[in-house]
Amino acid sequence: MKARFPQRFSAWGLVRHGLTGDDWPKVWRSPELRRSYDVVIIGAGVHGLATAYYLAARHGITNVAVVDRGYVGGGGSGRNTAILRSNYLTPEGVAFYDRSLQLYRNLSSELNFNVMFSRRGHLTLAHNDSSLRTMRWRAEVNKVAGIDSEVIGPDEIKRLVPMMDTSDRTRYPILGALYHPPGGIIRHDAVVWGYARAADSFGVHIHQNTEVTGIDVDVSGGTTGRVRGVQTARGPISAPVVVNCTAGWASLISAMAGVGLPIITHPLQAAVTEPVKMFLDPVVVSGTLHVYVSQTDRGELVFGASVDPFASYSMRSSLEFLEELAGHVLQLMPSLATMRVLRQWAGLCDMTPDYSPIIGVTPVEGFLVDVGWGTYGFKAGPAAGEAVASLIGTGRVPELVAGFDLARFDDGRLVGEKGAAAVGH
Amino acid sequence: MTGTSFRLEDRPLRNAAPPNPGRRLDPRPGEVIDRSAPLSFTWNGRPAQGFEGDTIVSALAASGVRVFSRSLKYHRPRGLLTASFHDPGCLVQVDDEPNVRGAHRRVEAGMRVSAQNAWPSLRFDVKAANQLVGRFLGPGFYYKTFIAPERLWPAYESVLKRFAAGGRASAEPSHDSYDKRYAHVDVLVAGGGPAGMAAAVAAAAVGASVMLVEEEYELGGHLRWGGKRELDLLAEQRAAVDASPGIEVLTNSVVTARYDDNWMAVLQRSVFPGVRERLVKARATTVVVAAGLIERPYVFAGNDLPGVMLSTAARRLVNLWAVKPGTRAVVFSANAEGDAAAADLEDAGVEITRLVDARRGENIVRALAARHGAARRTGLSAVELGDGSIVECDLLVTAIGWTAPTSLLNMAGDRPVYDPTAARFRPGDGLPDSVFVTGGLLGDGTVDELVAHGSDVGRAAAARSDARSVRQDRSDRAAGADDDAGPARPAPLPVVPHPALFRSTTHGIVDYSEDVSSKDLIGAAHEGYESVELLKRFTTVTMGSAQGKLETVNAVAVLAEATGRTIGETGTTVWRPPYAPMSLGALAGRQFEPVRRSPMQGWHEAHGARPLVAGAWIRPDHYGDPEAEVRNVRTNVGIIDVTPLGKLDLRGPDVPLLLNLLYVNKWSKLAEGAVRYGVMCGDDGVVFDDGVTGHLGPDHYVMSTTSSGAEAVLNLVEHVLATDHPEWRIHVTPVVGDYASINVAGPDSRALLGRLAPELDLSPGAFAYMQVRSATIAGVTGCFTWRIGFTGELSYELHVPADRGLHVWEALLDTGRDLGCAPFGVEAQRIMRLEKGHLIVGQDSDGLTSAYAAGLDWLVKPDKTDFLGKPELAWVAERGGPTAQLVGLQPVDGTLVPPEGCQLVEGTTIVGRITSSRMSPTLGRSIGLGYVDRRLASAGTVVSVRLPDGTETPVTVMADLAHFDPEGRRLRA
Amino acid sequence: MILVPCPHCGPRNASEFRYLGEERARPDPVAATPPEWRQYLYRRTNPAGWTTETWHHSSGCRAFLTVERHTVTNEIRSCTVAGAHT
Repeated sequence: MKARFPQRFSAWGLVRHGLTGDDWPKVWRSPELRRSYDVVIIGAGVHGLATAYYLAARHGITNVAVVDRGYVGGGGSGRNTAILRSNYLTPEGVAFYDRSLQLYRNLSSELNFNVMFSRRGHLTLAHNDSSLRTMRWRAEVNKVAGIDSEVIGPDEIKRLVPMMDTSDRTRYPILGALYHPPGGIIRHDAVVWGYARAADSFGVHIHQNTEVTGIDVDVSGGTTGRVRGVQTARGPISAPVVVNCTAGWASLISAMAGVGLPIITHPLQAAVTEPVKMFLDPVVVSGTLHVYVSQTDRGELVFGASVDPFASYSMRSSLEFLEELAGHVLQLMPSLATMRVLRQWAGLCDMTPDYSPIIGVTPVEGFLVDVGWGTYGFKAGPAAGEAVASLIGTGRVPELVAGFDLARFDDGRLVGEKGAAAVGH
Repeated sequence: MTGTSFRLEDRPLRNAAPPNPGRRLDPRPGEVIDRSAPLSFTWNGRPAQGFEGDTIVSALAASGVRVFSRSLKYHRPRGLLTASFHDPGCLVQVDDEPNVRGAHRRVEAGMRVSAQNAWPSLRFDVKAANQLVGRFLGPGFYYKTFIAPERLWPAYESVLKRFAAGGRASAEPSHDSYDKRYAHVDVLVAGGGPAGMAAAVAAAAVGASVMLVEEEYELGGHLRWGGKRELDLLAEQRAAVDASPGIEVLTNSVVTARYDDNWMAVLQRSVFPGVRERLVKARATTVVVAAGLIERPYVFAGNDLPGVMLSTAARRLVNLWAVKPGTRAVVFSANAEGDAAAADLEDAGVEITRLVDARRGENIVRALAARHGAARRTGLSAVELGDGSIVECDLLVTAIGWTAPTSLLNMAGDRPVYDPTAARFRPGDGLPDSVFVTGGLLGDGTVDELVAHGSDVGRAAAARSDARSVRQDRSDRAAGADDDAGPARPAPLPVVPHPALFRSTTHGIVDYSEDVSSKDLIGAAHEGYESVELLKRFTTVTMGSAQGKLETVNAVAVLAEATGRTIGETGTTVWRPPYAPMSLGALAGRQFEPVRRSPMQGWHEAHGARPLVAGAWIRPDHYGDPEAEVRNVRTNVGIIDVTPLGKLDLRGPDVPLLLNLLYVNKWSKLAEGAVRYGVMCGDDGVVFDDGVTGHLGPDHYVMSTTSSGAEAVLNLVEHVLATDHPEWRIHVTPVVGDYASINVAGPDSRALLGRLAPELDLSPGAFAYMQVRSATIAGVTGCFTWRIGFTGELSYELHVPADRGLHVWEALLDTGRDLGCAPFGVEAQRIMRLEKGHLIVGQDSDGLTSAYAAGLDWLVKPDKTDFLGKPELAWVAERGGPTAQLVGLQPVDGTLVPPEGCQLVEGTTIVGRITSSRMSPTLGRSIGLGYVDRRLASAGTVVSVRLPDGTETPVTVMADLAHFDPEGRRLRA
Repeated sequence: MILVPCPHCGPRNASEFRYLGEERARPDPVAATPPEWRQYLYRRTNPAGWTTETWHHSSGCRAFLTVERHTVTNEIRSCTVAGAHT
C-alpha cells in the first residue's frame, strides 16, 4: 500500500512553498488517545515506528498506536552515530543487516522523505594479526553472502583516508582493514520522522508524552498469561498485541509483563566536533582502540566508542570517555589535535550476552519483543520493523530473524556475533 | 564573480597599518591593550596591525574591518555581535587551527588569520543567495527534495557537502603540545567576576584551598568595562585575590564541564609557550558557579547586519580595546546596561542619534543595509523604528535582556526554570549540596550586593567542603550520605523585573551560526516539530558554535509564540557538556601508550628482530627467516623469549582445590615435581584460557597462562578466593614481571642446558617430559624449568629472575654456538605448534567454543564434582557432542595456503572455517586447523574452501590435529 | 566520574575499578536444570533503581566489593568487602 500524504515532498513543492510562503501540512497529527487498538507499540524510535509503518503498508493493519514517554526519536534513535553497514560476522547477522541496508537504500522514495543516506564506505582497522584474521573471517563470510567486503592494506587505507597515520612507527600500527564500500551514514532523525509521517498517513496514531506505566496480563488461562493492553500516564489502552521496542528500557517494560530478559543496560556515549571542511569520506572504526569516527555532510566529526564500563540508566556524559576517545583518534589521525569537541551526549544500550538482538514472541502470549539492540540498533531498524510487522501480520516468525528468538538463551543457542559486534559499529 | 558580489579579500585594509586612528580611541581607563607593544599579523594574506592585549577581532575592528565571516547557508556577511568568546560571526582560521574564536583569542605577532566561510569561489550573487534562493532553503529543505530519482542524490549530496562550515583541519601534526594536570581543591569557583572573586576570597579566608577560573584573560567580569566605581572595586578585589595565598587563579581558562561527584573539567588555554591547552581535571569538594549572564540578541529583520551588536559588545570594544564601534548609533535599551552603553559610546565620540527605550514601549522594527558605497549590502545604514521613522546610523546597539548560562548547573542535575519577572530562565532547586550558585547567574543586584552574596556563598562552600572532608575521614565513607550538611545555603539573590523582549514585529535571525530565522522556526513548529527538542533537531537551531548560549531562549520564545504556549510550558533544551569546546589535543594530553618489553627485547631489536605488537607486549616476530628458524629447532636447538606468558605463584595447602575448580581436568594427584596441561572454561563451558601448572615444592605451584589471558585469570583466581572460597588457604601472586622466560627447544636442547646447569640431572629418567625442577642456570640461582613441548620438540622452558634474563639468554647462545643454537621468534613457534596441532585459545577458539568443540574431550573430566563450565559441558556431551569440531586440515594442493579466516563451503552454505594455516617447512606442504560441521569431521572427508579471490579448492580433514609426529616421540625423547 | 568509597582506600575514581555486575548466586552445578543454569548465566534484573553488585578494586587494593548503587543516579549507598560476612 502507498502512503497517502496530505502533500508529497518534492523539489517542486519546495519551490511552491517558497513562493507562497504557506506552511507545510503537519508532518504527523496529534490524535486523540483511543481506549483500544489492534496493536500497541511501546517506543517511538526507529524500531517502533518502522514496525508501525510496515504493519500498515505491508499488512493493512492500521489501528495501531505507537506510544512513547517522550518525543519521537528522543531515545537511542536520536542519540546514535547513524552508521550503516552489513559486514557482520555470522551468516544470520549478515543476512539480517543486509536486508536492513537494502531497505535503507530505498527508504527516501518509499517514505517520500529524504533520509540522506550517504554511502561512504566503511573501514574497520586491524592493528594486530589477530584482528586482521577476524577481518579476513568477516570478509569471507560476507562474500559468501554476496556482500561487498574485502581486506585491504595500509596503502589503500592511506589512499582512502589521507590523514591516517599508516606508518609502522605507532603504538597501534595499522596492518590492514576490512573495507565495506556499501557502508555509510544517514540522517537518523530524518529516518524517524519519515517513518512517523508515513505511518501517520496510514492512520497509525503516534502518542508522544504518553508513558507506559503497566502492562495488563491475563493469567487466568495459563501459567504465563496473555496480554490485554497497557496502562499509560494518560489512561489504559486495551490491545491484543503489545510490542516492546524500548531499547535501553526494555528490561523495565518487559518486567511489567512479567517477562525477564538477558539484558544489561549500559550507557553509550558519543561526541561531535566543530565543523571543518570535508576531509574524511569513509566511516573509520578501530575495535582495538574502541573508537569510530565519521564526518557528516555538515563537516562535523561524529565520534563513538564502546559502551560505558558499568550498567546504568544515567545518561550523563563522562570526561574519561572524551579523553580516551581523543587519545585514540589522535593515534589514528595525529593532525586533528586542533579540532574541538563541541558537544557530548549519551544514550542507553540494551546489551545481550551474544551481541545479537531478541526479536519475537515471549512466554506471555501477544507480548512481543524487539529488543537487545545494544550498540547496533539503528542500522537494524527497517529490517527489524519489517520482521516484527510480518510476525504480527502473518503469525509466523520470519526466517530472517528466527535465530534471534528469546528462547535461545534457555536452550544455550547463542549467536556468534560476540567476536565482531563488541565494538564494531 | 559578478560585479555586485562581495569578497572579504576586497575589504579595504589600506589603512591597516598603523591602526586606523579614526577607530582607535584615546586611552581608556580600563583598557587592556599595551600601546607600547604593536604587533603585526596578516588577515586574509594582507598585513594587519594591533596591540598586545588586542583580540584578533578588536585589532581588525580598530583597522576598520567590519566583516569577519560569511554565514553558513546564505553566505550573508557577518560582523561583531558579542565581542566575546561566543561571537558567532568571528570564527577564523589561525595558521593550522580552524574555528578560532577571533573575538576572544589575543592577537600574536606573525599570526596568519583568515576568514573561514568566505567563499571567494561562490559564483552567485549574495542578493540572489539571500532573497531568491533563501526562501526555498527553509529548515529541513533537504528532507523534502532530492528524493527521486535516488541515483541523483549523491550528486546533490556532494553540493551540500560543500556548504560544510568551519575552517580547515590541519594535514600535518602540530608542533605544539598539550598537557594534563590533576587538582584536588576544596572550592572550585567558576567565573572570576565580582561574585566569583568575592566567593574565592571568602572561602580562602577560612582556610579552604580555592581554584578560581576565569574564561577571559583577566579577572573582573563586567567590572572591567564599567566606570570608575567598577574599576575601583575591581582593583580592590584583584588585590584581595592576590593577597589570598589559598587561591590559585587560572585565567583564559574555563570550567567547561561538571561530571559526577564534582569531577570538573577545566580547560586552560595558552599555558606556556608551546603548550596550547591543558586539561585540568579537578576533584572539587564543592563548586561555586558564578558564570554571570550572557546578553541575548534581539530578533528582528536585519539583526545580523554588520553594525548591529549587543550593548556588552559595544562597551567591551570601547572600554577594553579602545575601539570606536561606529560613528552614528541607535541604542535600543531595556535595561541599565543599554543605558550605560549609550553613555560609553557618547563618551567615545559616537553620536547617539536615538535612544529607543523598550521600558517606554518603544521598539525597533528592522535594520536596513547600506545601498551605496563601500559598505553596500554589507553593513548597517539605518534602523526602522516602531513608530515608522527611519533613523540613519552605522551602529545599532541592543540591550534587551539576558540568558543565564546554567550549563554547569544542569550538568549537576538542576533544570532551569523560566522566571517571567526576570524574563529569563533561572536555576531551579535541583542542585546537589556540593554545588553553589552566586552572582548574576542566580539573580539581580547592585555590584555590592553581588559581592556580598559571593562572599556568603564562598564561606558556605568552604564550610560545606570542610564538613564533607571530615565525613570522608571518618569511617562513614559512603558517598551520597550527605545528611550532616554544612551551613545552610545563603538565600538566593532577588530578581528585578525586566521587559520580556524576544522578537520584534519582523522576522530575523535566531541562530547566527546556523542561519536559522524566527520564520523558519515558526514554519517548523506549524509543520509539527512542536517540542523544543524536535525543533532543535529539525531546524538545527542551537547546534552551532555557541551551542545555544545566544540562541536557545529566543528559539524557545519563538516556539512558544508559534504554539500559543508560554515559555515556561515550552521548556528549554538540555545544556550538554562541554560548556566551551575542548580540543582533541587537550583531551588526549600527552600520549601515554606504554608497551611491555621483556628483559631481552633490546637484544632482539639489536639482532634484527622484526617487532610484533602482541597485546600489551612487543615481541620478536622473527629474525629474518622464520622457516629457517623452524628447521633449526627441528634439527638443532633454538631459543625463544616467552616472557609474556602469564605466571601466577600459588602457595598453600588448598591449591589443588583451586586447580580442580578452574581447570576441566583433574589436579588432586599432581605430584611434586610434575607439570600438567590444563584448560579453563567459563561457566558457559566456553574455552577461556590454557596453560601448564607445575608443582614446584610443598604447597607451592606456578600456573602459566596465555599472555593475553594473564590478567583475566588473575582476576578470576582472586575472585574465587575472595568471594566464593575465602576458606581456602591459598596465596596468589602474579609473577610475570619477576621472571624472564626462555624456551630451549630442539633435539640438542638437553645438551645445551646440560652445559649451563651442570648440577641438574637432565637424563630422561630423572627429568621426564612434563616435569619441573628448580635449578641454577648459567650461575643464576632461583630459576625453575619445566619440560614441555609446545613446538613438539624436546624442550625446556627456563624461568629465570628477570634481571638475569639477558645474561642467561646470551649464555645459551654463546654456549650453544657449536650446537647451532639460534634464536627463533613468534612466527616460527606458531608454525611449529600448528605442525603439532596445538590450539591457540582465541585463534582456534572463539567466544562460543566449548571445550568439546575445541577437541579437548580427552581432557574434560565430567566425573569431577565441580569445575567451571561443568553443567554446560555435560549437556553438550548429552546432546551427542558439539555441532562443529576443530580438526586438522590439509589442502589437496599442498602448495596452497588458504588464508586464516577462509570459509569452508558447500555451494553458498558455510560448513566451517580455517582458523590457522601455514606452509610447513618440516612437511613441505600447507597445513591447517579449522572447524567443520560434525557430519564432515571424520578423517578423509574432502571439503571445499573458498579462497579470497572467490575460487574454491579442496581440503582434506585429517585424523589428527597434529600434522607432525602425532605420537609425540620427539618431545618425549 | 563517580567515586567508589572503597572500605580500604577511601573514595576513589570509578576508573580504578572493574565492574562485575549484579550479584548472583551460582546454582548447584549438579542439581541445576538447564533453564536454572542459564538463568544464572544470562538473565539479569537490570533494575532502574537500587541494585547490589560486585566491583573489583583492580587498580587499588584489589578487594572485591559488594556495592549498593542506584542505577539512575549512580549514587552509592554502601560499599563493603565482598564475602567478608562468610
